[in-house]
Amino acid sequence: MLQINNLHKTYKHAPEPSLQGLNIQFSTGIIAGLLGPNGAGKTTTISIICGLVAPDNGDVVVLGDNVRSELDSIKKKIGVVPQSIALYPQLSVFENLQYVGKLYGLKGTALKDKIYHYLKIFGLDNNAKKSIKHFSGGMKRRANIIAALLHEPVLLILDEPTAGVDVQSRNMIMDFLKMYNAQGHSIIYTSHLLEEAQELCDEVAIIDNGKLVVHGNTEELISSHHANNLEDLFLKITGTKVRD
Amino acid sequence: MQKKAASVSRIIATIINECRLFLKDIAGLSLLLLMPIVLTVIMALIQDAPFREYQNIRFDVLWVDNDHGQLAKKLQEDFSQTKQFHLVTSVDDKVLDDAAVKALVQKGKYQIGIVIPNGLSAEVINSANQIANDIGSKIGAPGKLPQRESRPGNDIQVYFDPAAKQTFKLSIMNALEKFTTKSEAELTLSRLAKTMKSQDSDTNDSVNIDLQNRLRSVGIREASPVNANIYSATNSVQHNVPAWAIFGLFFIIIPIAGNMIGEREDGSLTRLKLIPGSYFDILFGKLFFYVMVGVVQFYLMLQAGVYLLPHLGLPALYMGHAPISLFITAIVISFTATSYGVLIGTVFQTANQALPFGSISIVILSAIGGIWVPVEILPYALQQLAKVSPLHWALDIINDLFLRNGSFYGILPKLSMLLGFSAVFFIIAGVVEKRRKR
Repeated sequence: MLQINNLHKTYKHAPEPSLQGLNIQFSTGIIAGLLGPNGAGKTTTISIICGLVAPDNGDVVVLGDNVRSELDSIKKKIGVVPQSIALYPQLSVFENLQYVGKLYGLKGTALKDKIYHYLKIFGLDNNAKKSIKHFSGGMKRRANIIAALLHEPVLLILDEPTAGVDVQSRNMIMDFLKMYNAQGHSIIYTSHLLEEAQELCDEVAIIDNGKLVVHGNTEELISSHHANNLEDLFLKITGTKVRD
Repeated sequence: MQKKAASVSRIIATIINECRLFLKDIAGLSLLLLMPIVLTVIMALIQDAPFREYQNIRFDVLWVDNDHGQLAKKLQEDFSQTKQFHLVTSVDDKVLDDAAVKALVQKGKYQIGIVIPNGLSAEVINSANQIANDIGSKIGAPGKLPQRESRPGNDIQVYFDPAAKQTFKLSIMNALEKFTTKSEAELTLSRLAKTMKSQDSDTNDSVNIDLQNRLRSVGIREASPVNANIYSATNSVQHNVPAWAIFGLFFIIIPIAGNMIGEREDGSLTRLKLIPGSYFDILFGKLFFYVMVGVVQFYLMLQAGVYLLPHLGLPALYMGHAPISLFITAIVISFTATSYGVLIGTVFQTANQALPFGSISIVILSAIGGIWVPVEILPYALQQLAKVSPLHWALDIINDLFLRNGSFYGILPKLSMLLGFSAVFFIIAGVVEKRRKR
């Protein structure tokens, strides 16, 4: 589903490159974890995959389309849940989702039904008319995920979707992602919560300093590195030095 | 075709969304519509006095007559007959003298004081007699009026409040000059008639009247350079309402820039950019919405000039005879203001940077663009500088439509200038946005 070849990116005025020859390949139908310490290049990679940032060098092919030439086609096939709550705080969740759905070309009863379908799944149907700004952190995160699902993407990309949410909301999100994957959709997911990643991801790719450090089946990697769990493996590979 | 329909659908969705966002902020909406109307009305009221012709305003004039002669009496009559001056000869039951006038004017209690010197009439009569005798001797009139050598130093003293503006002083001095010259001329003519009366016993005061009428045979009348049916006199309302309406309309940059920066900060812009299709559809929808808000705001301000200001003692705004051209102009001005808002919202990262810059830049552009003071009275360099302000072109087009009977083809080059400003704003915003993506 995703092929990243020799990807380079240095932001203007940045002292160091964010990505320096990153290579990753994820197969279709899996939940893939893109992990790394702060500043490793995870968000930059995701931003390039979905066309928000232009790469300096290298190729990214998503579901058979190249980001440089077929970005619109890619955008139709992927759903992205950014780290920030990318919704209008003053509008209700229904109004937000209705606007996003219309921009994707959905309309009428079909759109309304789809919105309520997901609101129900994420437990927000009783708060459909409530402004996002009055939502709790967990409710905002769930609404943020729904906005990426309305057009039924083949590939769902989530950048730390459970950051700052309570246990109940996290469980709800995790259960949904498993279910969504079981329906045949691919998922790429980044998180600092490695216990969660170990539970969810079929494959993980750990990157550091803009390069791939290790990539493979989650359980096989843990065992081949004689680690107790994913967190242990992560610390063995990236070290214990605190990153800024 | 399908792509076009999708594009239209995205534009409509964006307009609806912007409308929803706008309506969520009722206080902001009220301020956006009401504050410019309040500003327009207040500025029209405040600037009414400087815009009025001075003869329509009544001034209290301190008057000291040390002459008590014919000319002083004539001047007093002329001043009293006009509605412009009210002569004050005593204050607090005390008859005014030179020193009292100086003191009262210096303190600013009165703006003007006039002191007629002792012997003024005698001096003027002597001058008139000299002229009459000169003319009489040349035409062979037998009579000779008494005359003596002229005595200098009989000037009328005029005191002005030190804070009085130069234009005000000039206007008063001109009026005084006019009355004095008129009185002197009448006196000279009457003396001339007296010498002729001695020659022909049938000749009486009608000579004097005939001469005066002949002197008045060439008059000055203001004529309209445009169609006689077109309103041609400018006034406070005619300048201030369109000027401040344009100024208020440009303040639409505040919600636009705020909206754009807010979208960047809360992440909703990221969401919009993740959606397939051109971002220009979304941008177009936003622009369309704000342009229409600007047009509504502009017309509300003009309507305040038409219907509200007459209730406050000001003339009603005259809006010309080209409603379609005016509507197109309103759209173009609003589009220019909106594109400036897009530029501000794109260039600045935070609302704290954008809003003060945006507001102050509009005040500066309005000052150099002739909103505060008509450009015509500014120095040449500033008149040239005015051309870099879109507000100048906007006001010029409105004046063309309201006062100069301008046609659509006549205003087209100026409308193109405004669209040129918009193009520059968009190009700069596009370059900044592109650089930001790197």
